[in-house]
Amino acid sequence: MIIEMTHIRKSFEGLEVLKDISFAVDSGEVVSVIGPSGSGKSTLLRCATFLETIDGGEIRYMGQTAAHTGEGGRAQYVPHHELSRFRAYCGLVFQQFHLFPHYSVLKNLTDAPMQVQKKSREEAEETAMALLKKMGIEDKAKAYPYQLSGGQQQRVAIARALAMKPEILFFDEPTSALDPELTGEVLKAIRQLAEEKMTMVVVTHEMPFARAVSGRVIFMDGGVIVEQGDPKEVFDDPKEERTRQFLRVFEHA
Amino acid sequence: MTFSTMISTMGAGMLRTVGIFVLTLIGSLPLGMVVALLRKSRIGPVRGVIRVYISVMRGTPLMLQLLVWYFGPFYLFGWSIRGWRFPALIVGFVLNYAAYFAEIYRGGIESIPKGQYEAAEVLGYTRAQTFLRIILPQVVKRIMPSVTNEVITLVKDTSLAFTLAYQEVFSLAKQISASQTSFMPFVIAGVFYFIANYVVAFAMERIEKALDYYR
Ligand SMILES: Nc1ncnc2c1ncn2[C@@H]1O[C@H](COP(=O)(O)OP(=O)(O)OP(=O)(O)O)[C@@H](O)[C@H]1O
Ligand SMILES: [Mg+2]
Repeated sequence: MIIEMTHIRKSFEGLEVLKDISFAVDSGEVVSVIGPSGSGKSTLLRCATFLETIDGGEIRYMGQTAAHTGEGGRAQYVPHHELSRFRAYCGLVFQQFHLFPHYSVLKNLTDAPMQVQKKSREEAEETAMALLKKMGIEDKAKAYPYQLSGGQQQRVAIARALAMKPEILFFDEPTSALDPELTGEVLKAIRQLAEEKMTMVVVTHEMPFARAVSGRVIFMDGGVIVEQGDPKEVFDDPKEERTRQFLRVFEHA
Repeated sequence: MTFSTMISTMGAGMLRTVGIFVLTLIGSLPLGMVVALLRKSRIGPVRGVIRVYISVMRGTPLMLQLLVWYFGPFYLFGWSIRGWRFPALIVGFVLNYAAYFAEIYRGGIESIPKGQYEAAEVLGYTRAQTFLRIILPQVVKRIMPSVTNEVITLVKDTSLAFTLAYQEVFSLAKQISASQTSFMPFVIAGVFYFIANYVVAFAMERIEKALDYYR
């Protein structure tokens, strides 16, 4: 298993957003997470990538514990310097890209490998150019983010995350901030990564994409995983009434 | 007094004015950043002290602050420090301007979207790397217009040094005007301030242009 999250609990000011969530992803898996607004999808991703701290439960990466519920029932994390090792296992692609506007596309991809992982410039640039090529934007290496379309920016953001060579890449609604005509190019890039057996967890509202690309779909509602399984089963023959309701609303949207 | 002796006498004052200006910036631009960061310190009492400092600096006249720095050591401790006039002046200016710059920096830092911090955090940047490499460069660009305003105000504020009878260009203009019963020194001082501000505005515009390569 790349990541195992077990019995995860997380509250914001008394509001319980994740209620005893357990979820694991194996190497090469592509998992889609769907669910209504406010169901805790982003929070789950943010806990998995250490942007939020869990209240209880356990997070393991590559079989190693990063956080677990200790005495007194509160989650305890490994010390700060060890946490950076766990951070290196995961990458996150945001809905709003969050590229560094003052860096060129190339520097967006090389800065962290050079500053954080102490890679040489040559190595970092070689990796970066290969990734840009894969994303179909190698001609934009010298451009600045503001000069790119949303779809191009999101592909840069994906490449930036991949440049760190994570074991698993999380996506939080990677196409929700894009104009409809630009979602295709980003989904195509993610699909290509899936074919290369990149381990990925994608929160998305793009149901046809989830069905076509992922090996497993997770439906979340109210801070719990209501149902999960093969996309065909979840979409065509959902077991739970809540899943059916959610998908029905979607079909008519 | 001929026009040329007037110019050369006032020239020395102009150099002193430039001295106050340059030293104030060298001191207050970095100190302002320290103050801005302490203002967001995790230690409550530090934040409290900094807040009081900023509100006193901004809530009382600079002229009064200069007098306090100059006469304070004597009236409070009975110290009479030789050659204290100029240091008192610089301390007063630096501490006052650092407070204003700190508030500008703070606004700039707070205007950077949270996503920039989060993107850096996920990529594994340390807190220091995040601030120096990702946040600060964007802050500098955003605050340039406010910093320009402040620097132009400083050019004019240097004339407050007359409060401590420091012979910069404005004090000299007053003296020479009185002794020569001539209006000319004020005209010269006015032209000097105007040109100085023109140079400052030009330099700041160049810096803003240089930062124009991204949005
Ligand atoms: N930092 C926070 N402070 C307080 N409440 C928060 C915070 N972050 C999230 N929440 C709350 O937690 C709940 C779950 O939010 P989350 O963003 O995880 O939902 P989501 O499933 O990603 O929804 P969406 O589809 O709208 O993105 C919401 O009720 C939200 O208001
Ligand atoms: Mg969300």
